[in-house]
Amino acid sequence: MKQRMWWPVVVLAVAVGSAACGSATSNDNPNSGAGAGKLVVWDWKSSDKNAQNFVAKAKADFAKKHPGVTVEFVAQPFDNYYTLLGAAIQAGKGPDVMLFNGGGQIRDRASALLALDEYVAQDKNRLAGWDAFSKDGKIYAAPITLQGHPTYYNKSVYKQAGLDAEKPPATWDALLSTCATIKAKTTLPCFSLGNKEGYGIQFWMSGMGSGILTPAEYDNWIAGKRDWNSANVKTIFATWKQANDAGLNTAGPNSTAMFMDQFTKFEGGKAAMVFGLMSDVGGWHEMNPILGADNVGVMLAPMVTPGAVPSLAYDGGVGYGVAKWTKDPSLAADLVRSLTSTDALTAYAADAGAIASDKTVTIAGGGPAAAAITAAIPGGKPALHVALSAKTQDVMGRVSQQLLSGSITVEDAVSQLAAADQTG
Amino acid sequence: MDAGRTGGATAHVAPPVAQAATRRLRSDRLAPYVLVAPAVLVIVLLRLWPLLLGVNFSFTGDGERNGTSVGLSNYVELFRDPLFRTALRNVGLLVLLLPVAVAIPGLLATFIFLRVPGHRFFRTVYFFPAVLSPVIIGAIFNLLLGADGPLNAALETVGLGPVDWLGEPKLAIFAVVGVHIWATFGMALVVFLSGFATLDTTLLDAARSDGASTRQVIWHVIMPGLSRTIQFVFVTTMIGMLTSMFGLLFVMTSGGPGGSTYLPEYYIWTQQGQMNRPALASAASTVLFLVMLVIGLAQIAILRRGLRED
Repeated sequence: MKQRMWWPVVVLAVAVGSAACGSATSNDNPNSGAGAGKLVVWDWKSSDKNAQNFVAKAKADFAKKHPGVTVEFVAQPFDNYYTLLGAAIQAGKGPDVMLFNGGGQIRDRASALLALDEYVAQDKNRLAGWDAFSKDGKIYAAPITLQGHPTYYNKSVYKQAGLDAEKPPATWDALLSTCATIKAKTTLPCFSLGNKEGYGIQFWMSGMGSGILTPAEYDNWIAGKRDWNSANVKTIFATWKQANDAGLNTAGPNSTAMFMDQFTKFEGGKAAMVFGLMSDVGGWHEMNPILGADNVGVMLAPMVTPGAVPSLAYDGGVGYGVAKWTKDPSLAADLVRSLTSTDALTAYAADAGAIASDKTVTIAGGGPAAAAITAAIPGGKPALHVALSAKTQDVMGRVSQQLLSGSITVEDAVSQLAAADQTG
Repeated sequence: MDAGRTGGATAHVAPPVAQAATRRLRSDRLAPYVLVAPAVLVIVLLRLWPLLLGVNFSFTGDGERNGTSVGLSNYVELFRDPLFRTALRNVGLLVLLLPVAVAIPGLLATFIFLRVPGHRFFRTVYFFPAVLSPVIIGAIFNLLLGADGPLNAALETVGLGPVDWLGEPKLAIFAVVGVHIWATFGMALVVFLSGFATLDTTLLDAARSDGASTRQVIWHVIMPGLSRTIQFVFVTTMIGMLTSMFGLLFVMTSGGPGGSTYLPEYYIWTQQGQMNRPALASAASTVLFLVMLVIGLAQIAILRRGLRED
């Protein structure tokens, strides 16, 4: 019977043969997931209750321009969003329009995206935050929100400790003595910190950085000229460690999740301060109803290095981009323009508690905290950590945990980061 | 067998009955292949083919080099990455901890088999965690092991300082593996119990009437009789440890602190989804596959010798 055993062998041989000579993927077969007259949008927000108004406004605006085109929003779970998107990019087909976080997440995937410069030229002055969605001088997404890292403090804790709640510490020494006073009077630690995912150091770097780097160093850093071995960059990591060693943080930062344990602790009055966000979660929108809008204070970084100019660190937060494989690029780009229309962004800012990218949108009812943030935006600068690649951020998360647990030194940390920043 | 094959010139004059017999013989010979074809096709198309695609993909580049052949450079990068080396070291640690993970359900199953008081109750209780999802278990232990959690509160009442179980690089992996064993040993326990059901009770009675102690009964009668079950539990526990800890890692440590709890599967997920490096992730998958193959085969070989199977 041996001569009859051929066919399973042939099947295997064909399988092996075609696996060996063909690439597993190819990008030369662009094939949009949507048929003609339909656009598919992927994001992680459109199913939220507080985004319904925004989606409706954007759809209405788009329907005015293109009545025959249907728009389908597909909300993906955020934890898997970039995994799913990665699979779509590998396959060369998927959504026409997709939401991105600014910075590394979009820059790493820019090769799958359409440059939007010619389509969004009219919006360039109305919207802010473009840099976070640009790579090599080209724009790959239009921002809908601004995201930044103000330092929030609980004014009632300051008052309990007998401190002037309207005068938060403006220097590193003042911060240390303020924290010591708070500890002595209320037994509370200064910072609520969650660094389990390695995000804590990112917030520290961007929240404290403008008080540590000189303005020239800061601008060079953003421009990609980063000297990890400079004394001031080392200070960012040295103060990170010093703050923890001095007991300024809540217990177990390496095993505490930033989202949402870090913020829950601050809102529950278990710490005096927190490095937060200014849009969506972890910010004034959540804190105001819990702590009382008048108790939520916002401060700039304390001055650590003489000559530093503390400023608010912010960038474009999230924005919509267009896939390269979409059938009609100008149609998809028009949808992006509708998603960033003033009407849609006004609705989003109000419902989701975001600082909109649209400079003409004003926030009603955000309390003193939102007002302080809005006031700091004109003098603000891009956040330090957003300028880093996803890989460098990943390494930074790990070395920050090792710094807290005492298993490496600041010197080790910056040399690992310098290496990652070069290859990443 | 070759009755129908009259060969060459005489073939065309073969009588009709012989031709029918030939056809029947041919279909008899083909029948087994036709019958196994669906199963083989499923394995080839849904298992082997994707596996080969994945291996092939690991030799291509990421990002701008997507689709172009890059030879072994993904593998070189992989073994230069200290994080992947940590993940492999942790695999080694799991292999070392494997006997513990097998001994716990084995011993408990033995006690249940020997009918200790309350054995029915324990059988249910031991199995209970196996029906919980890793995410729920992770969330529960996150609370229990938290820096300000109840375990630390209890430790403090007896004068021991708080321990950051999931925040200390040297401790965290043991905490996660411990929770994983707690969560999954119920399944192995059930396998052991079903193994016990096949034991020859007359042998046990004979050993007892010959005056063998409990230890001697376990060592000389139960263990050899259970050799196949033990083998099975070893291999499935190992596979479980290497491929099913993702949920726990994700919830309990996110691979931290300092990357100390990375396992290859977590590394694969991070590279594919977070770092946008699918080809590098494929290379890591291939390495994980080979590691599992080698460990699995080695285990079977060692256990066969150790348990003196016939």
